Amino acid sequence: MKNKKKIIGVVLIIVAVSGFFFKFPNIIPAVDDAKAPVHSYISGFYIENAISQTGAHNIVTAVLADYRGFDTLFETCVMLLAGITALMVLSSTAKVGKKQKVSKEIKNASFSGTIIDTAFRVIVPIIVIYAFYVFAHGESSLGGGFQAGALLAIAYMIDRIIPSFNNSLGTFTEQGAAMTAGVGVFIYIFTGILPMFNGGNFLEYGRLPFGAEKAAELHVIGITMIEIGVVVCVMATIINILEVVLERTEFDE
Amino acid sequence: MSEFIYNLETFLSENGIYAMTFILLGLGIFGMVSCGNYMKKIMCMNIMQVSIIFFFLALGQKEHATLPVIVENVLGADAYINPLPHALMLTAIVVSLGTTGVALALLMKIKEIYGTIEEEEITGKGWKK
Repeated sequence: MKNKKKIIGVVLIIVAVSGFFFKFPNIIPAVDDAKAPVHSYISGFYIENAISQTGAHNIVTAVLADYRGFDTLFETCVMLLAGITALMVLSSTAKVGKKQKVSKEIKNASFSGTIIDTAFRVIVPIIVIYAFYVFAHGESSLGGGFQAGALLAIAYMIDRIIPSFNNSLGTFTEQGAAMTAGVGVFIYIFTGILPMFNGGNFLEYGRLPFGAEKAAELHVIGITMIEIGVVVCVMATIINILEVVLERTEFDE
Repeated sequence: MSEFIYNLETFLSENGIYAMTFILLGLGIFGMVSCGNYMKKIMCMNIMQVSIIFFFLALGQKEHATLPVIVENVLGADAYINPLPHALMLTAIVVSLGTTGVALALLMKIKEIYGTIEEEEITGKGWKK
């Protein structure tokens, strides 16, 4: 009876939504329409001026890190706050004896096997190299800070939860991970403050106090520096959430 | 009949993808309302966020346009797809990661205090059977 009601609801949603779009096809422009209002105003400006103003070939990075630098700053702050919140919610001590139980159980857990060990032993270094590639190509081709941070965190995560690896990449404590995320945000803000010593505004990369011939080169340096901050913050936040959750995990359930 | 098929083809090629994303959005919201298990609620929330991401990415497409990475000798705003939805959704993905992490932490706290994550067992009422 319970499932029947749910199925009726799902069918109703599908029929109603697709019927609505079928009945009123002009309510939204077609997918490939190059003259849709969404393409009309600011996006053309970004596409045409991104490379001359910021020196970044990747327009998405130019928008994220240069034109909308403030938004990305607070985006990284959101990540830091999410990590700290997860840490605070679970900050009370777990039930007694659980930690030893975990380390005993984790050796017999079903995800440790020869195939998994061998396969991931090959994959982890490749993931790390790819993460640095994605980071270094942030402004010249596809890539960026958020993705590189997530990839590094995935490498750490594999290393952490597969028991036979013995945490060869080192381990973060929860507090250490939260502090590292804070260091990432600090790098970002420090990059923003640096131009102020040279008479510029906050995050005005064209006035960074480094010697460069063109302003576009300074913009590239600034974008790379804030992306280092983003990588560190995102990586540490994901690791922070993982460590907080892992501390309380019971594998026998 | 042929007119109906023609209409259907135009529908699928022009805004069928929007209908799909809105179906996904509806399924996510419906699941958040109807599921009694908090873990399933979080999954439905993620489905909802993914549907919004799909919607914006579909909104950014242009005909005969390439990725928003500038290639030499290719100029003009019409040659590249719209970079703004991509930039917005990159941050939306990160926010969804953060919300999922905090939700999981709260879920573990609920499990520790109540011993269950079923809404009916915690509140004594839920989706009517």
